[in-house]
Amino acid sequence: MTEQRAWQNPPRHVQVDVAALAGAVERMAGDLALAEEPSGFAVALEAGAPRD
Amino acid sequence: MTDQTLTELAAAIAARKVSALEATEACLARVAKLDPRLRAFITLDGDGARARARALDAELAAGRRRGPLHGVPLAHKDLCHIPGLPTSCGTRTPEYFTSEVECTAVARLHAAGAITLGKLNMTELALGPFGDNPHHGDVDNPWKTGHVSGGSSSGSGAAVAAGLAFGALGSDTGGSIRLPAACCGIVGLKPTYGRVSRAGAMALSWSLDHLGPMTRSVRDATLMLEVIAGHDPHDATSSRRPVGALSARLDAPIRGLRLALPENYYFEGVTAEARGAVEAAARTLESLGARVETLRLPDPAALIDVAGLLARAESSTIHARIARERAHELGDAVRARLEIGFHISAHDYLQAGRLRARLTREFIDEVFGQVDAVLTPTIPEPPPVRAEVTAPPVDDIVRRMGRFSRLTRPFNTLGVPVLAVPAGFTRDGLPLGLSIAGRPFDEATVLRLGHAWEQAGDWRARRPLV
Repeated sequence: MTEQRAWQNPPRHVQVDVAALAGAVERMAGDLALAEEPSGFAVALEAGAPRD
Repeated sequence: MTDQTLTELAAAIAARKVSALEATEACLARVAKLDPRLRAFITLDGDGARARARALDAELAAGRRRGPLHGVPLAHKDLCHIPGLPTSCGTRTPEYFTSEVECTAVARLHAAGAITLGKLNMTELALGPFGDNPHHGDVDNPWKTGHVSGGSSSGSGAAVAAGLAFGALGSDTGGSIRLPAACCGIVGLKPTYGRVSRAGAMALSWSLDHLGPMTRSVRDATLMLEVIAGHDPHDATSSRRPVGALSARLDAPIRGLRLALPENYYFEGVTAEARGAVEAAARTLESLGARVETLRLPDPAALIDVAGLLARAESSTIHARIARERAHELGDAVRARLEIGFHISAHDYLQAGRLRARLTREFIDEVFGQVDAVLTPTIPEPPPVRAEVTAPPVDDIVRRMGRFSRLTRPFNTLGVPVLAVPAGFTRDGLPLGLSIAGRPFDEATVLRLGHAWEQAGDWRARRPLV
């Protein structure tokens, strides 16, 4: 259980790393279209494939 | 015999110039001689491999050839679930990973006649690019002892380079096929996301994981890909797009193909030798008729941030149990990387997924609207000394990990195919790497370019002096 508490109360450096990652993504995501969904990734791959 | 490529061996077995058992014994003899230094294997199944080789030889004598890999000895990263063999995923727990589903890629290789020699070493939980492992030993570089093998498919890279197996499966979440391929001087293909089923292979990040071949030639990688690619009902993310006859298109001319050398990011902080190797490859491809231009690519930092967030959230979710209950059994760097994922919010995870969709669409439109492939270095420097890059403190190790894999990770966010091929050697005899990235599901073009480069170079005949 000691380990579990440790995960639940992150040390300062973990909080900093999480904040950096989340902040970077949030800044870029600010102008995403409302219709944008994660599944758009697979759609983009299929649409970008060569037509042969 | 072990100097032959997979394709050459398969042809020799088909012509009954050599038997599957002879090939298997040759590999096992190499393992006995070299693996005490390389530490490429976690589990060696010599008896099983011999029994299968005898059965395959008997079938061939009776006129039955299972497929293009009949009798060829392979080995696979120890995160592929193969019935009858334990799967450690690089942990100290021998059967950490269990699955109801056999690894589809391995099953397809078996159906094509391949033999499995055993399970190959890897970075613990596939989390790390250097090939070190506190439980199963650090995989050594076949070209120079004490240098990193690359990771996380470290055993796959070393085993194939040193002739312990004729090919191997690796997995790639941030470069784990391409980095060991570059460090060990072999070929590694990260196929398009969805091209090869991930079923039966331990996930590190289901959004970013790719399974692919690691071999000694581009033709070998092509052959293995033809066998393992294609839709799999056990993997909902596998594509239904036809694979096509890739080997038949390998020798087509590359004249007229448009290639880009990135203006930004991919040559920043790269050693002169690593940069020079890629530029030399570009000149060679140009001399064969390709058109090479420089191109500014969409911001790779954004792709790396998205990959980082997705990978940490998903890997912490997948490995929550071992991280929470047995964290003391994990290496410091692995534990540190897992810990971050527990604190990423659902909001941020979903935003990263949405952002990935847009970034991928934009990259494909902007880049592959202008060129057919992008050339980059695979590793920013020659394989470094292992003791230096794995030296504590843990924060420094994690930073070095990030720097070493910074050229490969953007392509996991994008999901496009990337072929890592050798690009010559440093003055000290260490391998350098070239990566060729192409349009989604256009493995045919990156393989064709890699094959053309391979045929033009003189490095293919070089073997490590292990």
